[in-house]
Amino acid sequence: MDIKNNRKPIIISHFDDFFNQVDIHKNKNISFHHHLRNGDFILNRVLNKYKEYNVMDLNIFPSAVFPTYISILELIKNNQIKNITTNYLNGPVADYISENGLPGILTMQTHGGRARSILEGRNSIDIAYIAVPYCNKEGNAIGYKGKNACGSLGYPIPDSEKAKIVVLITDTLVNEKIENPEIKGHNVDYIITVDTIGDKNGIVSGTTSITSNPIGVKIARNTSKLLYELGLIKEGFSFQSGAGGVSLRVTKDVKDIMIKEKIKASFFSGGITKYHVEMLEEGLVEKLYDVQCFDLDAVKSLSKNENHIPISASRYANPNDNQVIKDLDVVILGATEIDYDYNVNVTTDSHQTIIGGSGGHSDTASEAKVTVIVSPLIKGRIPVIKTRVTTITTLGQNIDCFVTERGIAINPNRKDLLSLLKNSKLNIMTIEELGEIAYRFTGIPKENKSEETIIGVVEDRTFEVIDKIYKK
Amino acid sequence: MSRSYLFIPGNTPSMLQNLDVFESDAVIIDFEDSVVDYDKDAARLLVKNFLNKFNFEHTEIFIRINDADSRFFLEDVKITKDLNITGYVLPKALPKSVLALSNLTDKLIIPIIESPMAVLRLEEIAHTKNVRGLLLGAEDLTKELGINRTVEAMEILYTRSKIVLVCNAYGIDSIDTPFTNKDNIDDLLIDTRTAKNLGFTAKSSIHPNHVEIINTTFTPSEKEIFEAKRIVKKAEKENKGAFSLDGKMIDLPIIEKAQKVLEKAKKYNLL
Repeated sequence: MDIKNNRKPIIISHFDDFFNQVDIHKNKNISFHHHLRNGDFILNRVLNKYKEYNVMDLNIFPSAVFPTYISILELIKNNQIKNITTNYLNGPVADYISENGLPGILTMQTHGGRARSILEGRNSIDIAYIAVPYCNKEGNAIGYKGKNACGSLGYPIPDSEKAKIVVLITDTLVNEKIENPEIKGHNVDYIITVDTIGDKNGIVSGTTSITSNPIGVKIARNTSKLLYELGLIKEGFSFQSGAGGVSLRVTKDVKDIMIKEKIKASFFSGGITKYHVEMLEEGLVEKLYDVQCFDLDAVKSLSKNENHIPISASRYANPNDNQVIKDLDVVILGATEIDYDYNVNVTTDSHQTIIGGSGGHSDTASEAKVTVIVSPLIKGRIPVIKTRVTTITTLGQNIDCFVTERGIAINPNRKDLLSLLKNSKLNIMTIEELGEIAYRFTGIPKENKSEETIIGVVEDRTFEVIDKIYKK
Repeated sequence: MSRSYLFIPGNTPSMLQNLDVFESDAVIIDFEDSVVDYDKDAARLLVKNFLNKFNFEHTEIFIRINDADSRFFLEDVKITKDLNITGYVLPKALPKSVLALSNLTDKLIIPIIESPMAVLRLEEIAHTKNVRGLLLGAEDLTKELGINRTVEAMEILYTRSKIVLVCNAYGIDSIDTPFTNKDNIDDLLIDTRTAKNLGFTAKSSIHPNHVEIINTTFTPSEKEIFEAKRIVKKAEKENKGAFSLDGKMIDLPIIEKAQKVLEKAKKYNLL
């Protein structure tokens, strides 16, 4: 690991002073992380200074863009931002870019891809602004302590290791030694102290509860039965599910099977919720590898349970690191659209509005032994299955199973899985047959995709551009 | 021989569209309590158009029309009489209203027993033409009696037992009242087991998430199927009215019960 500094970081107690000390006109590639989500006060506060100083041609690298990040929108409208590179984008900024584009380009990366890009110098960061909930004067920092604890600080660790100037911004600066810091002091140049880095209520995502929607329940039940029949729920297996209601229901159903069959998992990875924590505490899983916490129970667990381990985005999913997900048996992922080649879109809706992005979707699908997409067949009167997805987020070659409330499609490339399910009582059908069922209810939606102006690209962690994003 | 009857509102397209997804053996599309008065006509049109377009081979479809004294009753029947449905569920049933409906349609009828008078006149209702089974409506019944529902359900034990006896005697289905707490799955299981042990042939539900427990409870277990197979096999071999198996006396009623278990098991692909 590179050690950048042998000196202590400079501590600045007045926010504005930093901008008098560092020439922000010369350092236009700037990065942020999204662990504080909609409770983040720092990104807007920093970017407001860029507005005030009228810095032009900015290239920003936030790990995600949330609805609260309105300063980005203001800078775009002022023509101050040229390029944005991120892993996930929704809210007013996403809406605006979908309709207007950027002077430069929007690059949608993955969590593993962003980490790799930064560490390998492809994303060259001049200044990394890293909000940290708990930090000592040596610049060692963690995310799971402090008045605005957010849990793991997985995303900005590569930024802290490679940015030319690393700036920690904290509301809790302590003298004490911090064991096993996530951000290491020898990489840090400045520490800015502020009254508060965010609003705790906005930091937890608030979407992490198990669905009781009957369609979601049915999909989850089909999924857990599928995993069981495929023999994937077995001693020592590893598992990842998102924080969506259906994914969490799958986790609960898998948990029920594990209890009944006396099975213990080796690890769960990715975004961690209280349901994963409960399973750790109940001895159903050995370790949690946590790249981001979704709720306060996960944050608390991280601070007290040594088997709940914070990891960087690189350790999580960088193919050139000792990535955790290389040992992943099963990942459960969602889809806004899926096509007959099993390509999945979670980046745009069917009207080409940007509504999300890969995050770890594409990374985990590339590595997990079995990748399962869960989705209702019809969402808001629109069939999820299309001839061709509006935007490819994850390539179909990495998708193995598609589970809906009406049936399960297995990628024909996975002959091994199809063979295991030969005598199954599950409703196994082709994705074309599932599509036909959906179209019986909805008709075939008219394609109305505009492909005149490219506004962005979707890049997987191999740096290959797998699709383009067009202006609406 | 349906195990589960799921109520779904007749004015909710997303529920109608998925009526066969929840694996309920029978679905009761509701025009009564879940549809407000100003939406009754919209529900009728929606259901009519929907059922004219889609067929559901593996799900029995009933419509709960409004009660015979309501101003909606005749229109409910008129609009739906030519639809491809199994039958009607009739609320606030009494002998007179069940007869009135049976004179309007040849489709099957499931009267809801939800008043003290209906409980007293169960037999008259049960042997009316086209009655397929009786459904207990415990919420309205206990409301009329001025008593509270409890988890133990002692307050409906008499009615439950009487419905089971009458239905069994007349060879029709007995369908237990829905369990109304949608999130309390533990108590649902207890309530469903109680219904099965009392002799009900099925249970209704008002939430799709209850269907799996109801189906599982009313499906013969592996042990029951195994025993039934042994009894039927031995009966075929012995070719006698009565015989002994594992020291127990087996006679015709037990053989017939075993045959019913196997019939159910066959229906639900368990053989």
